[in-house]
Amino acid sequence: MFLNPWSLALSLCSLVVLALGAVAGKTSVRVLRFWEPGSDSNRQIRLENEIWLSSTLVAYGLGFQIITLILFVLAADQFCQVIVGAMCATGALLANPYGMPALLVKLFGVFFYGFWILLHQLDIRSEQYPLVRIKYLALLLLLPLLILDVTLQTLYIAGIKPDIITSCCAVVFSDSTGGGTNLMTGYSQQGLLIAFIASITGLLAVGLGLLRRWQPWLAGLYTVGWLWFFGLSLVMITTVVSSYVYAMPYHKCPFCILKPEYHYFGFALYGTLIPAAFFGASAAPTGLVRDKGGLTGVVDRYQRLAVRFSLVLLVIFSGLSFYHYLKYLIIGGEG
Amino acid sequence: MAQYNIEKQLNILDYALSSLWRRRLKSLSVLLVFAAVIFLLASFQMVTQALSDKAGQVLVHTPEITLQKMSAGRQEAFPLAYKEQLAGIFGVRRVVPRIWGYYFDEVRLANYTVIGMDTAEMPEGDRLDSALAGGRMPRLEEAGRVVIGHSIKKGLDLGGRSTFSLFRPDLSLKPFEISGEFSQHTDILTNDLMVMTLADARDLFAIPADQVTDLCVYVANPKEIDTIARKISDALPAVRVLTRPQIQKTYQVVFGWRSGFGSICLLAALAAFVILAWDKASGLSPEERREIAILKVLGWETRDILAVRFWESVIVSGLACILGITAAYIHVVYFSAALFRPVLMGWSVLRPELHLLPSMAAGDILLILAFTVIPYLAATVIPAWRSATVPADSALGG
Amino acid sequence: MLIELSEVSKIYNQGRPNEVRALTDIELRVEQGSMVCLKGPSGSGKSTLLGIIGCIFPPTSGRAAIAEKQMARLPDRFLTLHRRETIGFIFQRFNILPELTVLDNITLPLLPLGVSPMERKLRGHALLERFGITHRARFPAGQISGGELQRVAIARALINNQPILLADEPTAHLDTVLSREFMVIMQQLKEAGKTIVIASHDPLVFEHPAIDRIVTVQDGRINVP
Repeated sequence: MFLNPWSLALSLCSLVVLALGAVAGKTSVRVLRFWEPGSDSNRQIRLENEIWLSSTLVAYGLGFQIITLILFVLAADQFCQVIVGAMCATGALLANPYGMPALLVKLFGVFFYGFWILLHQLDIRSEQYPLVRIKYLALLLLLPLLILDVTLQTLYIAGIKPDIITSCCAVVFSDSTGGGTNLMTGYSQQGLLIAFIASITGLLAVGLGLLRRWQPWLAGLYTVGWLWFFGLSLVMITTVVSSYVYAMPYHKCPFCILKPEYHYFGFALYGTLIPAAFFGASAAPTGLVRDKGGLTGVVDRYQRLAVRFSLVLLVIFSGLSFYHYLKYLIIGGEG
Repeated sequence: MAQYNIEKQLNILDYALSSLWRRRLKSLSVLLVFAAVIFLLASFQMVTQALSDKAGQVLVHTPEITLQKMSAGRQEAFPLAYKEQLAGIFGVRRVVPRIWGYYFDEVRLANYTVIGMDTAEMPEGDRLDSALAGGRMPRLEEAGRVVIGHSIKKGLDLGGRSTFSLFRPDLSLKPFEISGEFSQHTDILTNDLMVMTLADARDLFAIPADQVTDLCVYVANPKEIDTIARKISDALPAVRVLTRPQIQKTYQVVFGWRSGFGSICLLAALAAFVILAWDKASGLSPEERREIAILKVLGWETRDILAVRFWESVIVSGLACILGITAAYIHVVYFSAALFRPVLMGWSVLRPELHLLPSMAAGDILLILAFTVIPYLAATVIPAWRSATVPADSALGG
Repeated sequence: MLIELSEVSKIYNQGRPNEVRALTDIELRVEQGSMVCLKGPSGSGKSTLLGIIGCIFPPTSGRAAIAEKQMARLPDRFLTLHRRETIGFIFQRFNILPELTVLDNITLPLLPLGVSPMERKLRGHALLERFGITHRARFPAGQISGGELQRVAIARALINNQPILLADEPTAHLDTVLSREFMVIMQQLKEAGKTIVIASHDPLVFEHPAIDRIVTVQDGRINVP
């Protein structure tokens, strides 16, 4: 269903991002082939200049990726109005097998860009630019990722079959279920709540412990903890938090909380969760490049900063997650 | 450390503003063209939004299920007796017969949509009067009375009279008296509409007494529409069963389709603008090169200069957006989207005078940004980088 | 020793048909608080030498230590970072941005350092006062006289308290009066502890008593240590 402003906007943005990604890819290849630190040749000077180009492209890429992620969800919300049986964005994304994968790839892309920018920021703080090879090897992965993103998105949009009146006599309602599909079933609310609270407590404990005294194994635990917590939070938001926001026990959808009628609450939730997870999970892995020329102090500083950031965002996120639930309980709803 | 960064970005923002001002002719030309492109796209978006919102509101009161008979792909009248077949289906609240046709007025060269039904039988029939600007709906016992839409009233050019005549198929005249007029709020559906009693419609179109063109089925529970529709289809296989959700979706798709089509045309304008932006950003005059080389010798890093260019783009985009979207809003609300109506309004000769009220949610603004600001930023990245990599030593040696 | 160059060479387009040896085996030592004049015709490599001393580009080979930091093999970014703390530049034709005010011109180096507007104003005014051009603070720099421009250029080179001053043919487009005035200010700055390197073939410069040493550059080499 391409003849629709949202589809067009998404396709246009994808083309733009792909074009920028191709330029970044070209730079990667050149840097990996010709990089000679300390050399005075024209080519080396040009390559050093191109580093700024690729870092700018990735920075823009991050911004664009976040915008297209939001746009994609909003587009799905629009599509649900013309698809049989789709009550909201969730239904629209499940309408064909490409919707959810496209969304997940876009989300992954945000983390990828973020991580590359982190590597770059660490790299340029050392006079030897020690991470150049790693960075540009990683950047080679960008183009395939973008191609995958665009492909899934295009297949998804192409696969949307709007339900319109045809001129034949039969009624068109082959797939309609009428009730709206649920994204996730089979999770008990109580169990999730317990796991959620336990995870928050655990992360706080480990994080504070790390700030007191940094130990690599504890940092590793922190990273793993954050990866676990990120997945858990997404499930939690979908199955528990969202229904309290909508005040409807059967509307379990992680996307409608982004809409204006719920005061864009979803943006606050995801806007704290995603950066928190990024900083939390990236603290330990940066330790891997700690010993590269001149980065020791830089990495140490970043690790502490990342843990601090992630803890602050964690507290805010927890507060937001429980807000509607507690409000409901206080007002007098049954638990 | 954070404060240093913020302070530094503010300084660079300051410099970017001054830089734009120093080249104000160039900046202004890009800004105005950008604002014009945003204006076009935003107007289009707002109009389609407002129209489909309005249609959605008005469609809420249509019957949940409509039955029609199709023969050789065209609509045909069918026996009223079909109504009996529906008696056994559980969940059907009421079945109201209707005649729906089009009357071509040769004198005024206009098509009117004619609906004949007993409005009192509709579940909310007594509330229909509120859709009128004045008068009331014709009652079953009142022959020859009709409620007409706004454009028809104007087209008939009655002066002070409240009667007019229409031709039956055998060219005899049928007189009508206006008993009410539809309010302009409902223009999008009622502009060219005439509502009369079933008997009058039958008379006007010479349809046999026991036949109708539609059966309107009102259903008690909206969630059961599809189940009931299926049962009706089983009971009456020759009949075409339309559900209200389908009609709503069709309107959505058509609006979306037309809007998408229009968007493609506007993309041409966008493409031209992007090329202009690239061109303007790429041209580095000798003065500009000198300026950058000086800055670099004075200790500005490449990425500081990139930051200047970034802020310049953001400022231009931001201003263009504000200008473009505001102008679009004024265009749609106060000038009724004069530029776009031919594309979006239907085929009828009678065009409604619409008062559109677009609702701009943050999502719609994001859509406009995605169409305009993102391509612009992308187009200016590489020229910005080229300008930032002017070497410092070109400032030496006079 | 504030500036120390040892076996420094600079080759452009190395290995290509248009290879140019701008500098060969340069040995140069400049003590803190001294004033040195680089003398030589255009094309002698003077500007290149100035570029290396000024941390604008690194040498192709050899060791160059400016304010105790090795310049060799540094990426451009770190050259810039070091340069802005260490070197103040005075160009030929002053290279002022004519549409910016005098104050803005002087405080240009402070912007990427994240210095607040208040502090920039303070520092700028301090220098304007020192050079007696406070009344020109808000004037566009393109509308002031040559002598005032000269002082603006010098003020800009001092705004960040850099220990080293580099001047590239500063008197090339000035009359005798202004040239003399320039050297007076240089002498004052030397007495205040600045290390100054001036590239010039103007006798008014290299014959000035404040110059401690004249270094002649010819065909990319230094004749007198």
